[in-house]
Amino acid sequence: MRTEREATRTVRAWLEEGVTALPDRVLDAVLDQVPMTPQRRARWPARRIPDMNTYAKLAISAAAVVVVALVGIRLLPVSGGVGGGGPAASPTASPSPTPRATATPSPAAVFPNKGELAVGSRQAMTLAGVPLTLSVPASGWLSNGTFAIDKGSFPATWEGGFIFWSDATPTGVFTDPCGQTKGPAIGSSAADLAAAVATVPGTDLIGAPSNVTVGGYPAKRVVLHVREDARCPAGSFYLWYAPGPDLERYATELGSTIRVWIVDVNGTLVWIDGETSKDAAAGVAREMQQIIDSIQFAP
Amino acid sequence: MDAELIGRAQHGDEEAFASLAVAVGDRLHAVAHRILRDINLAENATQQALLTIWRDLPQLRDPARFDAWSYRLLVRACFAEGRRTRRWAPNLLLLPVDHPVDAEGLSSVVDRDQLERGFRRLSIDHRAVVVLHHYLDMPLDEVAETLGVPVGTVRSRLHHAMRGLRAALEADLRPTALEATR
Repeated sequence: MRTEREATRTVRAWLEEGVTALPDRVLDAVLDQVPMTPQRRARWPARRIPDMNTYAKLAISAAAVVVVALVGIRLLPVSGGVGGGGPAASPTASPSPTPRATATPSPAAVFPNKGELAVGSRQAMTLAGVPLTLSVPASGWLSNGTFAIDKGSFPATWEGGFIFWSDATPTGVFTDPCGQTKGPAIGSSAADLAAAVATVPGTDLIGAPSNVTVGGYPAKRVVLHVREDARCPAGSFYLWYAPGPDLERYATELGSTIRVWIVDVNGTLVWIDGETSKDAAAGVAREMQQIIDSIQFAP
Repeated sequence: MDAELIGRAQHGDEEAFASLAVAVGDRLHAVAHRILRDINLAENATQQALLTIWRDLPQLRDPARFDAWSYRLLVRACFAEGRRTRRWAPNLLLLPVDHPVDAEGLSSVVDRDQLERGFRRLSIDHRAVVVLHHYLDMPLDEVAETLGVPVGTVRSRLHHAMRGLRAALEADLRPTALEATR
């Protein structure tokens, strides 16, 4: 078994091999075509801050401060969305003009430590600023330490399922998953989000938005099947997005089934989704549901 | 990159662009070859990227961003080339590349073979992240800027890609059916 570092070193050494020189005939072909290729020039001059008057600059600066504050408040309690940073420092963000539960960032990210989760023990994490605990019903569920709990260890014992825990709640879906075209931001209720999820092109709706409860709170559940005939590979098939730079969820496999739970915890939406591959081991989806059923919120 | 050269090429100076193309051609081609793993496809992608650079250069506002911008155009060209090939030649046999036998860090020819197979199973998006980060040593935030995607997406792609490559490397460690019966 190689360590991750050894594997990385091997990949890097392998990438060093191979051609590095562009053949002259290719360069000549390019330069031959240049005289026949007109350059494209920008049609409109770029609007730059120096072009604006003082009041406009101040307005933009003020807007930027508000945006930074809001984004900062949103991101400080990150517990490891895709690529979420490390533990947040002591929060110093100014108060949000629209107080919500998420406006009180937790002092540090919380997510189960990397490794297998003990059956029956309570595991703590924070999503969208809401603390919660959960337990796994069977052996073989492993935390990646940041944003995912996998059934099995990839690749040797992976059983084709994982739950994705995102600190940021998506606010819109992609209207063209392969073209990576975002639809407009949608309504902020769980029903609005669930309805939007149910319409992601290139997916089949297996379970229409339905009312369920998670941890005693009202939730919407939607189940999608990612079609296998998508015109782009799975890693380029985008499903939904959240504000800020850190969350654009894509399907990790074509043909997979994606279950979404959108929980309304006293007005704060908590988003959980799980993906099972088309060849997932029997029982993975059931265990996934049992994990969801084990959730207890402590808002 | 020489900002003065870029500025002249932006204003239509073909000689300046020729110098620019010579300066960046090898680098772009090396990256294209590592993403596409095929010499002919890489040449096509590099040629297309260089022509797009010439065509769109007047729209590059900040010459200091030339490198990232040129890589972005190259990756797009690789994506187009890969897609065209997939659409029209799904069973194209990709020949193994030439390589030295004693490169540091590669324990065996088997490693190369497994990596080659594992890498080709990745999408162009995932390959590009691996190459920009592990071949060009580009930090993840620069990879994100180059590809025009969020840093989180880059991290995820790198995670999935490296997981796949590691799995490919592990594959040669599993005993074959023949070995297992010995």
